[in-house]
Formats: sequence, C-alpha cells, structure tokens
Amino acid sequence: MGREVSESCVDSLLTEIVSTYNNRFYANKPELAARRIEAIGYQVGHQLSERYTMERPRFSDHLEAIKFICKDFWSELFKKQIDNLKTNHRGTFVLQDNRFRWLSRISTDPSVENTESQDPSAAAESKASLATMHVYFPCGIIRGALSNLGIPCAVSADISNLPACKELLLSYSVLSFYDI
Amino acid sequence: MAPVGPRSGDAIFANVERVNAELFTLTYGATVRQLLTDLEEVEEVNKQLDQMGYNIGIRLIDEFLAKSNVTRCVDFRETAEVIAKVGFKMFLGVTATVSNWDADGTCCSIILEDNPLVDFVELPDTCQGLYYCNILSGVIRGALEMVSMKTEVTWIRDVLRGDDAYELQVKLLKQVPEEYPYKDDE
Amino acid sequence: MIACVAVVGHQNNPLYIQSFTEADDALKLHHIVHCSLDVVDERVNNPKKSGPTLNETFLGLLYPTENYKVYGYLTNTKVKFILVTTDLDVRDADVRNFFRRFHAAYIDAVSNPFHVPGKKITSRTFAERVSTIVKSFGLSSAG
Repeated sequence: MGREVSESCVDSLLTEIVSTYNNRFYANKPELAARRIEAIGYQVGHQLSERYTMERPRFSDHLEAIKFICKDFWSELFKKQIDNLKTNHRGTFVLQDNRFRWLSRISTDPSVENTESQDPSAAAESKASLATMHVYFPCGIIRGALSNLGIPCAVSADISNLPACKELLLSYSVLSFYDI
Repeated sequence: MAPVGPRSGDAIFANVERVNAELFTLTYGATVRQLLTDLEEVEEVNKQLDQMGYNIGIRLIDEFLAKSNVTRCVDFRETAEVIAKVGFKMFLGVTATVSNWDADGTCCSIILEDNPLVDFVELPDTCQGLYYCNILSGVIRGALEMVSMKTEVTWIRDVLRGDDAYELQVKLLKQVPEEYPYKDDE
Repeated sequence: MIACVAVVGHQNNPLYIQSFTEADDALKLHHIVHCSLDVVDERVNNPKKSGPTLNETFLGLLYPTENYKVYGYLTNTKVKFILVTTDLDVRDADVRNFFRRFHAAYIDAVSNPFHVPGKKITSRTFAERVSTIVKSFGLSSAG
C-alpha cells in the first residue's frame, strides 16, 4: 500500500476548488466555473488512468475499458465499485453509483445549511445547484481516464434524490463518438 | 510539550478514514496548473492558494480539535508543537518538527522533510516564483485564527526550489482575546 | 548493453529518445527506433501474428538487426516504449524487468502536474531514473 492521507484532505480540497471557482472567480458564470472544475478533473483522470492500468494487459475493446472504470478504477478511488452499468449498445453507457462519497457530504455542508433558515424550497434549490457543481470534477476524471484509454467521449451527470439526500444516486452517460 | 491529554498524531491517523494519497496529490497539482492557466501571474496564484488554504483551515480546525482532544493550547509554543506533531500527521500522514524559536517565543519554524503535495512535481522554469505548497501556509494561518491567534506564515525553504527541506516560518502577530469567531466569507 | 531507449506517443510522435553509446551513431539508432514503430503497429493490428503476446503490454522481440536487438512495449494508453540493445544473448526476464521499471518511471514523469500530455518529456528526474535503469540492465532480474 502506498502513501495515504486523511479523507478530509480530499474532501476539503474538492469543496474549496468548487467554492473558489463557483463563488469567487466566476460567481455569475456557473458554466465557466463548471468548465474549469471539469478541466481539473480531466487532468487527474488522465494521470490516474496511466497509473491504474500499469500492471494489466491492454483492453481489447471499449467495453473492457469501461468495465475497468466501473470496477478497478472506481474501487481505487472510492473503495467500492459502480453499482450498475447500462448501455444502449450505440455508444452510450450509464454508470450508476448509489452511494457516491463525494456527494454524501454535501447534505452536511454547513455553508449549505445556513441557507435553510429562509425559504425551504430555495434552500433545496441551492443545495441541488451546489451538488451539480460538485459532479463536474468526477465527470472530468472519467472523461480524462477514458480519453487516455483511447475513447474520446462526453460525460454528463444526473443526480437524483437530491435534496432528500438519504441515498444519493449519480449516473453518467458516456457518449462515445466512435464505433463500439 | 503538550500535557498527557491530547492523542498522538499516529493514533488519530490510524483511526481516521484514509484514502490513497495519489488522488489528493494529483488533484492538488491539477488545481495549481489550472490556477496558473486562469490567473497567469505566479504571484496571484500564490495568493489564491493561500486563500484556499485559509478557507480550509478555518473549517478543518473543528475536526482537528474534536479528534485530537486538544482542549486549548496555553501558549504559542505548545500550539506550534501540536500543529507539527498532531496536525500534520492526522491529515497528511507526515510529521513535522519545530525549531528556530526566537527569544520571546513568538516566532518559530515548522519543518517538513517531505509532504504528499509534491510527489511527482517538478517546477518548470516559468514558475520559479511559485510557492507550490502555499495552501499549507494558508491552512495554518486560518486554523490558528480560529483559536484566536493571528499569525503570519512565510516560506523559508522549499525543496522544489532546490532547498533540502520545507520550512515554514510562523510568526505570532497577536493573540486576540476570546470572542465569538464570526468571519466574513473571504 | 543498452544502446537506445525511446518513448513514442500514440500518433508516433517521439516523446523521449536517448542513446547510450560512445559512438556517433545516434542517427542510426533513431532510424532503428523509427522502423520498429511499424512493427509494433503491425503486431497490434494483426493479433494473429502476435500469438501468445495478445494484449500483453510486453511485445517481445520486434526484430533483430545485424548488430542490435529491438524490443517493444505498448501501454494501455497507446504509448510505445522501444529498447535497442547490443547484447545478442538477452534473457526475456531481464527485458520484461527493464520495461516494468521504465514504465513506472514514465508514469511518475507524466504525473507531474506541469507535464503536458503529448509533449516531450523534459523531466530531469525521469532522465536520471532511466539512466539508472539502463545501467542495471541485465545485472539482476530482481527489483
């Protein structure tokens, strides 16, 4: 086992990246903030895919690479696999994680709770939009990893069950522009 | 040294939820790289990293106090020791040492041999003025401010710039009397 | 003795090439590396020919020339490593061991946040690690 750090280091850093770009640099331009946060994730995914594939044979097709993302890659990051993988057999894959770690802390983020005192529906909305900001980083990681494995793609996320937040559901569509 | 009360950094680190450091290291690196792209000026990147650290520090102090059983450090000397021995260990898994105290005990150095932020990092020639680990100085400043110590934290040595260790000078500016620590967002 | 090592990107763009010979034969070695890329492509695109090495990162001996043996390695991210050696009696285990260590050094080099994917590897740490790996080639299969 290599070097480890406390999980709060990663959590704090991710929270701060989102807050820096979303609240400070591009307060009124969420799409620009999203693009920057995604770019950070892309670089990380690109580098991690290099590291995590070192001791394994080359993937013979896209499906094998995507399965690798769902199993080994996800386990390295979150100590659990993707819960469900679906495909329409035309290049779209949906990856579902029912307990996504990086979203579960948002429900307890004090900076979000602060807004709760006023209008509950406004609070719910702000919680949902903050959660949306937080998925650009993992989307970027997946896009970076897959493109380094030779699969150029677009990745988007769909968060359900927010702001109930008891169980978090996150799904990705991996749209491949190449034949499968 | 701290009294018997506080738990050791090793004991806490063994019990916290831990993750593979690579993710943290690469994420921090990608963030620095992105800040350089967006802000262009190295000086501005230093400032933003410090600001990010400060924001993290003012939040992280609660977790630190809760997990370490540190009640309240009596003086600055003890505080510096706790940061080095417990703080760095419980979050980053590395231990720092404290040295170079000045005569009146308000200024010292925290020295790190090694830290996970810099694994794989080589500074390009275009980034010579960059304090790559500047987030750390912000974290210390932010955390100390929440326990009523206003400090100034500066880099003395940096391995990425060719030195033999990482050395942060922490200077106590003033110890504010206990008051409700309400902060503006910045 | 290792004469030359190279890292080549997925569009056959050279990312790193270093020769270790006294003689002024860099051009010749570059040419050998260049020619070996076609052999790699052929191996990978015609898996029948590669037989047991199907999808393995280690591609084995690409081709022997009069004075050299050329070995290849292809990562999951489609980056090629080429090894040119003057030894005519080379143990397979030594070559595999070389590529494993070389690959680890490569991965750390591209993990530098300031490295731009697809650009040449200019890292001094990488160059030093490669030189250590090259010097210890064939001395032991351990490590």
